Amino acid sequence: MAKYIFFSGKGGVGKTTMACATAVYLALSGNKTLIVTTDPASNLADVFEQEIGHKVTPIKGVGVIYPQGTAHESPLHAMEIDPDEATREYKEGIIGPLREIMPDDVIASIEENLSGACTTEMASFDRFIDFMGTADEYDVVIFDTAPTGHTIRLLELPVDWSKHIEESAEGSGQTCLGPVRSIQGSKEKYDRAISLLRDPAETNFIFVMRPEELSLYETIRASRELAAIGINTGEIIINGIYPEEACEVDFFKKKFLVQQDVIKETEKLIDRPKRYMLLRDNEVKGIEALKDVAEELFHEVSAHGSKKMSFSGRSDPSRRSASDLTGESSSSFLDSPIKSGNDGQWTRKTDIDHLWLPHDKQTKALFFTGKGGVGKTTVSCITALHMADKGFKTLLVTTDPAAHIGEVLGKKVGTEPSEITDNLYAVMIDQETAFREYKEKVLNDARGKYSEDMLSAMEEELNSPCIEEMAAFEKFAQFIESRDYDLLVFDTAPTGHTLRLLDLPFDYARQMEIMVDASSGSSVTGNITKERFGKIIDMLRDSSRTVFTLVLYPESTPIEESYRAMIDLKKAGVETQLVIANMVLPEKVCTNDFFRSRRNMQIHYLNKINDKFKLPVAIYPLMDEEIKGIEQLRSVSMELGHR
Amino acid sequence: MKVRIYDPAMCCSSGMCGPDLDPALVKMNDAVLSLKKQGVEVERYNLAQQPKDFMDNKLVAELLHKNGKKALPVVMVNGELFKTGEYPSYENLCKALDIEPLKQGRPMTLI
Repeated sequence: MAKYIFFSGKGGVGKTTMACATAVYLALSGNKTLIVTTDPASNLADVFEQEIGHKVTPIKGVGVIYPQGTAHESPLHAMEIDPDEATREYKEGIIGPLREIMPDDVIASIEENLSGACTTEMASFDRFIDFMGTADEYDVVIFDTAPTGHTIRLLELPVDWSKHIEESAEGSGQTCLGPVRSIQGSKEKYDRAISLLRDPAETNFIFVMRPEELSLYETIRASRELAAIGINTGEIIINGIYPEEACEVDFFKKKFLVQQDVIKETEKLIDRPKRYMLLRDNEVKGIEALKDVAEELFHEVSAHGSKKMSFSGRSDPSRRSASDLTGESSSSFLDSPIKSGNDGQWTRKTDIDHLWLPHDKQTKALFFTGKGGVGKTTVSCITALHMADKGFKTLLVTTDPAAHIGEVLGKKVGTEPSEITDNLYAVMIDQETAFREYKEKVLNDARGKYSEDMLSAMEEELNSPCIEEMAAFEKFAQFIESRDYDLLVFDTAPTGHTLRLLDLPFDYARQMEIMVDASSGSSVTGNITKERFGKIIDMLRDSSRTVFTLVLYPESTPIEESYRAMIDLKKAGVETQLVIANMVLPEKVCTNDFFRSRRNMQIHYLNKINDKFKLPVAIYPLMDEEIKGIEQLRSVSMELGHR
Repeated sequence: MKVRIYDPAMCCSSGMCGPDLDPALVKMNDAVLSLKKQGVEVERYNLAQQPKDFMDNKLVAELLHKNGKKALPVVMVNGELFKTGEYPSYENLCKALDIEPLKQGRPMTLI
């Protein structure tokens, strides 16, 4: 058995559940097991139903073989790497010893310089690598990784960095991470991590996916990217398969058949061992539920066509009977008088339209954010088309690396804005293209101005991974600044990534202050940049010019992640204005216990959303098929009550 | 011949990591490249990355204590303090090192 097991896959595919179930299973089979999450929006604590946090914590309820049941004897430990905490520790490691001997303003200037996006990446990664090198006290270490794109980058970093370090050693001797001689030690650490990652005897890479086309392509793309850096995918878990028996209504039968097609395609396209997991009628929480999942994962050679009614007896009877909705018979889902507790009110679609209207002919930016798989792209497309149809010149910008926006719009979307239909334009920000363009632009500006020696020095600096982030942000900033449109609709990348992206202007503004400060004369260019980022910050914070909407589906994980996103945005001075609860099961199609139980679970969470966010909530129903093309988008928009 | 430059806290030595180039840093980088071509040993220390080196140098540490971060950059030529609070020009460095400034093939920023 491999010592390191990685669970990868887009957000919302059930990666954490699978990782936790595997951890419980291995721990109960007598292995000293550690599960670590590197996801900035982790929900390990929710699944284990106990506080974990940024420290190795024994998990209760697994150590049954010890009569005392003392916590530290548990064979299972868990840790949630908190990027902020990791950064603080990393910074303190550098600054701590200097505090006594350096003047305050010097300490402050070092500290500010360590507050960039670079340091955060570096610090989290460092923590992550630590668990790969020195975890001798465990038989197995399981990583519940961050969503695919981020993970890949995380894993590519050692390759990039050690290359960057080598190149820099020959050049200026400086890198973005610190001077070569002080990170030579780290290079060995990274190299060791890479060789462990590449050795299938040491590391097993498991991809979790949903039986959905998008998820399949995402998985193929991600495993190819990994293969390119020498890491091979071990297994595939197809999770969330509709049980055939529960799909007697056309609505679900349709979805079931679509899933089965995707499963067949997956079998054809991915030549890896596969495990099949059925959708459950309730969420997985607590050790007992995890054991149950592990049972299905490891003991049943579950073919996807399995006749087993796997959901029976798993529903929570209290919830089923607590249904306050049975007996409803309204024909349209949107008219359903869903109760939201005593005080809150569900917002009708017409109420949210005013949020999207630009004021005083100023360009307005609408951000749709949320974890992967919540339907951000579809929601952004519906909104953008709706507003374009109303006569506003609208640009739809996607920063999601796995953009399937072209598919939804039924027209190819490139890296330059192109017209989709009257008043509607779309563009995709591709990180790699942006990086290439940024590098070219800087070098072109420099040609003729600087010497060849200087140019090669610049090129070397530009190859640092930190510049990649900056390049994507630069592109993003260009659209934010654009005044060619009435509305800018951003279908953003998954939450954590977006926040980092949005945090950049703040970091850069700080960075600019330092730089303006550092140069002997006054730096004119520096001041211009500072002013520019200042303007972007002002716009993002102005609720009449920018609207942040959280898109989620009513389950624990997306709620927790979105909530954290809202708090993080608040910290950056940005107020969230709307929650869209997507993929809500229409009542009329929930005709059996399985789906009634799922719907009750959703309603439980809709109420929770109301209590927790204290924001207007718009409800979007689950669709019976994927939306493709303008006409379909329009008819959905009508159904939603947009006018 | 040895030049030591103690830079303020920066992301990287050439000022390339920020969204804009700081002309003072670019000029310094030009000078460093030229000096290296002429066989001068140049060492740069970045406060953000090598704070310990600042403390290990008694003179630099004293300057920092007395004047705070305004003391930076500190430039030393052959072990002696040459400039504090701003970067010296290439020509002045050459004078201090007692070498002829490069006439041709000199890395130079044209702005």
